[in-house]
Amino acid sequence: MIIFSMIIACILGVIVGLNAPIISYTYSSYLAIAIIAALDTVFGGIASVINKKFDMKIFISGFFGNGILAILLTVLGEKLNIDIYLAAIVVFVGRMFLNLGIIRRYYVEKWTENLKNKTNKN
Amino acid sequence: MKKGKITVIITIAIACFALATVMCMQFKIVKETDITSIETMREEELRTELANWKQMYKEAEEQYKEKESRLKEYKEKQQSSEETSKLIEKELGQTNMYLGKTNVQGPGIQIKIEDTNSDEIKPISAEDLLVIVDYLKLAGAEAISINEKRIINMSDIVYINNSIIYVNQERILSPYVIKAIGDPTNLESTLLGNGGYIELLRNIGFEADIEKDNKIAIPKYNKDIGYKYIK
Repeated sequence: MIIFSMIIACILGVIVGLNAPIISYTYSSYLAIAIIAALDTVFGGIASVINKKFDMKIFISGFFGNGILAILLTVLGEKLNIDIYLAAIVVFVGRMFLNLGIIRRYYVEKWTENLKNKTNKN
Repeated sequence: MKKGKITVIITIAIACFALATVMCMQFKIVKETDITSIETMREEELRTELANWKQMYKEAEEQYKEKESRLKEYKEKQQSSEETSKLIEKELGQTNMYLGKTNVQGPGIQIKIEDTNSDEIKPISAEDLLVIVDYLKLAGAEAISINEKRIINMSDIVYINNSIIYVNQERILSPYVIKAIGDPTNLESTLLGNGGYIELLRNIGFEADIEKDNKIAIPKYNKDIGYKYIK
């Protein structure tokens, strides 16, 4: 049910996004950083589901809060003439890899366990 | 429990929707913007580009200046060569005039001498014409012709068999018309008056007229002046 709703929402989002008006190129860097922040939150959410620590409020607040914070930081960096968005990208992408590692380990362990069970049964 | 699940689904769907929308928008922007166009360039890129262009502009300007100076040089050269060619042309014209290779016109006199029909008097001889020509030269004639044959420095006035007068290797016949350009009074006075040659001829019995004119036209020497043996 959850996966089904996610797929529908994604398809809808793609349709809306492809038909949305083009934003000026100067703002695209803000959007990009927001996307990275949101992706980080998504992977973090998946990891927390695996760890059974998933909290809806934290997920939603992280999803939008991180995005907005990343945009604001980028704006501030532009005003200060410092590439703060680089720091944001480093942090977010680092965390993404971390979370991906957790997810990978979980599934690999699960798979090996399944294999072991199968061999034991046989 | 069920209500909570629905809210979870809805929130996750909203998040997914937002993420997909923003990602697609970004893809579109990146795909459709021309990165090399000036409006979308980053500041540093613009800076380096500007520096490049400045350098190129400087080089082009230097080249332009160099070319311009060269052009100026060429123009000067052309002008000077034009001047020399004009000068040479002028000199050529003058030389041709000296040599008698041009039709000339100017104030002067015209002498007309006719042979008499009587047997007692000897006809006009080449010597007579030579003397007249020499007198005219003495009086400062600048151009002389006999029966439209231009007298130049290599002209011949010869008497063959004491009967035929040749001027410029062509036969001429009476009446003899001698034209000379120069100071008309001088030219006239050297031939007329006491001891003047025309006066002498008149005394012998020839009909000789002298006319002063402001517009005496003398044709050019119509043969080639060539040198075969001068080395």
